[in-house]
Amino acid sequence: MIMENTIYSLPLICSLTGALLCLLPIRSFERIASIAASVAALGSVIYLFSREDIISDIYHIDGLSKLLLLTIGILYLSTVLYSLAYLKHIHNPLFKNRMYYFLLNLFASSMFFSVSMDNIGLIWVGIEATTVTSALLVATENDQITIESAWRYVIIVSTGLVISLIATTFLYGASGSLSIASLMQNHPNNRVFLLGILLGLIGFGTKAGIFPMHTWLPDVHGKAPAPVSAIFSGVLLPVALYAMARLIQIYDVPVVKIFSITLGALTVGVASLMITVQNNYKRMFAYSSMENMGMILIGFALGKYGLIGSVIIIISHGLAKSSAFYLTGNILSVYKSTNLQDVHGLIRRMPATGFTLFFTSMAVTGAPPFAIFIGELFIFREFVHQYNWAIALLLILFLAIAFIAVNVRTGRMIFVGKEPEGPREFRAETWVPIINLLLSVAVIFLIPYLEKLLINFI
Amino acid sequence: MEQTFEILGFLLIVFTLLMQWEVYVNKVILLFSISSFIVALFLVLLGISRPGENYLLFVLAGLTVLTRGLIIPIIMTRALHSLYKKPWRVREDKPIMGIGGSILVSLILILVGYFIYQNSLYEVLKIHSGSVPFALFMQASLLIISRKNAYIQMMGFLVMENAVVMLSGWVFSGLPFIVEAGAILDLLGLVVVSSLIIRVRESAIMQEGDIYEKELRG
Repeated sequence: MIMENTIYSLPLICSLTGALLCLLPIRSFERIASIAASVAALGSVIYLFSREDIISDIYHIDGLSKLLLLTIGILYLSTVLYSLAYLKHIHNPLFKNRMYYFLLNLFASSMFFSVSMDNIGLIWVGIEATTVTSALLVATENDQITIESAWRYVIIVSTGLVISLIATTFLYGASGSLSIASLMQNHPNNRVFLLGILLGLIGFGTKAGIFPMHTWLPDVHGKAPAPVSAIFSGVLLPVALYAMARLIQIYDVPVVKIFSITLGALTVGVASLMITVQNNYKRMFAYSSMENMGMILIGFALGKYGLIGSVIIIISHGLAKSSAFYLTGNILSVYKSTNLQDVHGLIRRMPATGFTLFFTSMAVTGAPPFAIFIGELFIFREFVHQYNWAIALLLILFLAIAFIAVNVRTGRMIFVGKEPEGPREFRAETWVPIINLLLSVAVIFLIPYLEKLLINFI
Repeated sequence: MEQTFEILGFLLIVFTLLMQWEVYVNKVILLFSISSFIVALFLVLLGISRPGENYLLFVLAGLTVLTRGLIIPIIMTRALHSLYKKPWRVREDKPIMGIGGSILVSLILILVGYFIYQNSLYEVLKIHSGSVPFALFMQASLLIISRKNAYIQMMGFLVMENAVVMLSGWVFSGLPFIVEAGAILDLLGLVVVSSLIIRVRESAIMQEGDIYEKELRG
């Protein structure tokens, strides 16, 4: 039985093996090992879709976990592939490529671990491990500002996660169990347990970039290497949201729902307003991620159609936003600046990057017919059904502000300005964001299947 | 025995207050190490006073001495030695808050911790001094917020972790061992990674001065 269940650990085992192989002192072997590990991990995740859900003492892999595993698997592979080319543009790295790939593989394995466990304490351990494995990845470019952002990441996120550790203590103290499955079936109805759930939402919310503990997010996304920003935005934030979703699922009472919706709405509002004052395109996309995380949290709190909407956004945002961050890597390597004013005429200098960025920007801000738009429609449908139009309209207003601010700024970079000096460029690595964008569009076709997968959750 | 726990809790708060007022980094590390030993002693006494529970509190006490009392302070001290020629003279010259202000804020935070506990959890838990871990947690938060030195901020974070160990052992009779072990492993990894980052950060600041403020704003 144990051996049979081990199959559910395959993505974790593949990425861990990849990490260990990176340590072998063979020239450039870390690249081959990472590609092989990420392909194997993605293959094993796809295989898991053919298996029954499993809820045991160790694992809790249902439809939601499988979809998270799939998103992590795709972004793990695409980040490895994009890194192969991008690392050449880093002139003064903090460590050798071998260490970069070692940490990247470990980072992926800690995310696989986090979304597979049945124990809230172990989910906490996994999410804290993502901080340990990714902090140095943030600092790869090795200048003072990057190092400072890495430090802010460590101290703010770790402090936030201590709050969720206290929450875990409360939950265990109140119920005597940390198993998601058993807590869903039977949990106490007292103040300690409620406090544990609320503190957990704040603590894990820190890692997910949820207001008010979000301040690390723009710093890290603004300064980390493009592939690292991509995997952070695409899957690290949703992995932390996954923990929040489980807490909401365990204690689905009005106070928890309203608390989560309030946090989500504040996150959407703050992020949308912050986007309007950004001069740095990477920070702008970081705030856009924050806005999407706010919407996902609202959807999780609403449940039913809201939950399906959240999952649609998680997958399509993960793919499209990673695509946007990969493209910022292309831009940064040519224009040598992250300032919006310094980038112009992208469509002439880098046509493929420009075109893809245009559609990516539309996709991440929820333009129809991209999947994020559909996800948001689902969430608003549920919101109006359970609450009222007034707050929904306010949220729509904030989304509209973000939509206009991001697309106007991106449009200026792509279409406005004279052709900059230098030859036109097409880079082979641009295929990675193009494919991710296409996959993001294809999420629409998965929607009927999502409902079946999430039936137990709904 | 309950009074012994209260005295140890009080001692932990005093040590955190001393860390708040101390400007020399190596002394803050030493104070953290001593406070970790007090946490371990606390866990041992807790294990003795609750014989029916299990031996895990003793194991946790041993792990606390080993990791928080010894390994982490050694890692931090070595990081300090590798960066500075005279590590014992490394200090934070201009803390954000003066000693007078920090005394006042610390006392207010202790009262806030007590107030929150009495009005939210005491009714359920019925442990008189259960507010101690909360007060300790708030002290640690103040240490992180009120200091700019990365080593001292890290110590603040570690004091927070000590507060959680105390909370879980005293108030809630511990977490499952696998979770405690995972948390300790994460903590060790975090300290190693943080030491590296702090080292690079401090050496960059020594060479170039603080230049990061503008770009990380907004």
